[in-house]
Amino acid sequence: MALVSLEEASFSYDGRAVLKRVSFDVQQGEFVGVVGPNGSGKSTLLDLVSGVRTPGTGVVLVEGKPAHRFRRRDMAQRVAVVPQSFVLEFDLRVRDVVEMGSYCRDRSPESCGDVDATLARLGIAHLGERRFTELSGGEKQLVVLAQALMQQAALLLLDEPAAALDVSHQLRLFDLLRELNRDGLTVLCVLHDLNLAIHYFAKLLVLSDGELAALGSPEEAMQPEVLEAVYGVRAYLHHYAGRTFLTFSPRPRVDRRGRVHLVCGGGTGSSLMRELIDCGYDVTAGVLNALDTDEVTGRELGLQMAVEAPFSPISDEAHASNLRLIERADLVILTAVPIGHGNARNIEAVRTALEASKPVWVAEGVAERDLTGTAEGLAEASVALFRDDAELLVHLA
Amino acid sequence: MTRSGWANGWLPVVGVSGLFVACLVISLSFGPASLSLSQLLHYVTAGPGDRQPGSTIFWQIRMPRVLLAFVVGASLSVAGVILQDLFLNPLTDPYVTGVSSGAALGATVGIVLHLPGMPWMTVLAMTGGLATLGIVWTAARRKARIDVYVLLLAGVTISYLATAIVSVLMIRAGQDMHAIVYWLLGSFSGRSWPEVKIALIAIPFLIVPLFFVREMNIMLQGEKRALELGVDVERTKRVLLLTAAVLTAVAVSVSGIIGFVGLVVPHVVRLLVGPNHQRLLPVALLGGAAMMGVADLASRTMLAPTEVPVGVVTTFFGAPLFVYLLRRRRA
Repeated sequence: MALVSLEEASFSYDGRAVLKRVSFDVQQGEFVGVVGPNGSGKSTLLDLVSGVRTPGTGVVLVEGKPAHRFRRRDMAQRVAVVPQSFVLEFDLRVRDVVEMGSYCRDRSPESCGDVDATLARLGIAHLGERRFTELSGGEKQLVVLAQALMQQAALLLLDEPAAALDVSHQLRLFDLLRELNRDGLTVLCVLHDLNLAIHYFAKLLVLSDGELAALGSPEEAMQPEVLEAVYGVRAYLHHYAGRTFLTFSPRPRVDRRGRVHLVCGGGTGSSLMRELIDCGYDVTAGVLNALDTDEVTGRELGLQMAVEAPFSPISDEAHASNLRLIERADLVILTAVPIGHGNARNIEAVRTALEASKPVWVAEGVAERDLTGTAEGLAEASVALFRDDAELLVHLA
Repeated sequence: MTRSGWANGWLPVVGVSGLFVACLVISLSFGPASLSLSQLLHYVTAGPGDRQPGSTIFWQIRMPRVLLAFVVGASLSVAGVILQDLFLNPLTDPYVTGVSSGAALGATVGIVLHLPGMPWMTVLAMTGGLATLGIVWTAARRKARIDVYVLLLAGVTISYLATAIVSVLMIRAGQDMHAIVYWLLGSFSGRSWPEVKIALIAIPFLIVPLFFVREMNIMLQGEKRALELGVDVERTKRVLLLTAAVLTAVAVSVSGIIGFVGLVVPHVVRLLVGPNHQRLLPVALLGGAAMMGVADLASRTMLAPTEVPVGVVTTFFGAPLFVYLLRRRRA
């Protein structure tokens, strides 16, 4: 039996639908992240699972029983919550605050848990005698987590636990959660940082406007198309240094401003590709060797490119495909790419563009990095020279 | 660290218990006719059957008056703790629920109709207070839950309404106006055993909150967090609100409206022992009783033979003490 099971659960607040027919299961031992834009119903979802709110239609089951039917004490033995905001202005000791978590347990020492052990587990044993109001935001968050752990519940719900934490506290918190999960705790955690979500969670649930937009492994749930639909931004998945991570751009302008072809390589075109797309241009590139930094970036950005095999000189085929891309471009840009015998034909392609009276912008340093002499005279013939990306973007933005 | 160690220990509870006993002895000894400790001991051990004139005065006048002051002080102070915590509002005192204004209206009606003070005025005051609670309670009920903010606002509103009616009655009262004003100021003057018997209703309600210490601590984090931690919030609120209202109604109906104790004693005690109810509640109970006992002693001896209304005394001495404690705390 699933630990938590939502079947077509809906919830309305003052007539406004906050959750719409949401169905999913959480199995014992799972580590699930919940993401979604502000107001997508994430906190309400947690309130339904903890039984604090009652679904309007549908059911929310905890261990097979409707969540809102539990006596509060029985529910607290099964589901613990770390709330998004925690206000306690009274001057209680940390130890007293943590001890409150054992309210739902018997008074007997075996079942009511050990405050010191719980604090030590979270690495905050030294805070026990401090006053709660004197703690920093990160320390308070850990104390509230300790309070929730004292309930010894099978399921832990967290609502944006990392929102107010610096990066070191964030990592410490999620490492702790993962550790607790390995020891058997089931975790359902709302968070905003999608990169933390990808990195830490085995299963992600994406909420959008009260509906379940995606559910699955990070690779399945964090598809750029999904994120674009849910958040209304452009999302790019990158793989670097053994990590998968996302970067975002504002949603691209609907009116395209023209087509730019980049002749680049060795990383000289990567940042331009992204910037030009964000400015509203369609971008193509070539010829690039496969696995070249610019080629990898172009692939992640979904560009149309003329590509040659790794470490190989440009073949006729690739050259022809590059010329076709140039023909369709409104502007050709030659970055300060080092030119050797392998990519000398790219200069040839640029000259073709010039002959066809296409506007061509050339980086100032090209001639210096030309080992072949192919680029000689190119600077003088080109329409415009640019010193660096920033200068170029001033003109194109 | 040493200060907090002291404050977190049980020393304040022991200390306030000693203070309580000392104040009880002092209140019983001093008055227009002061008694020595041995006289006091003799009267107490001899019991009320003793035919000496001194013993009669002691048992018929001083003893009931002192007991009444102690019970009223404890009641207002405990009611203040409960309501400040439930409303999470430091400005709350037992009178915000409207119960006291309702009681005042009841008593005023009794005075205007020239009903005998005991039992009618007291009964009318109690009825007025509890009826007000009923109205405020009904206003704050939403489905199965009590909305404390609505309760607070409804209480304050109905307070104004009851006070307005009292004002109208006062204007029309003529010679009775003096009696009404005197009642409203609050006093233990002329109270005796019949009032004490009514005040005894408060005793079980003083004990009830001690069984809700953990719940009250947890509810300092707000109602939602308390639900998450497993507290039956609605039941706790119902019990505690009813307790505070009955304590207030009892106190007001036997002694009038004595200000300041219910607002300040909880704060002073919180400053001394912290917000943990395990210590806060007993210390507030004993401290409120002791403070009221001493205040009543001052009220009957300061300008003897004239009595200063006890509410004036509590404010007069309580205000500077409170400001001093607040400042010391900030430093």
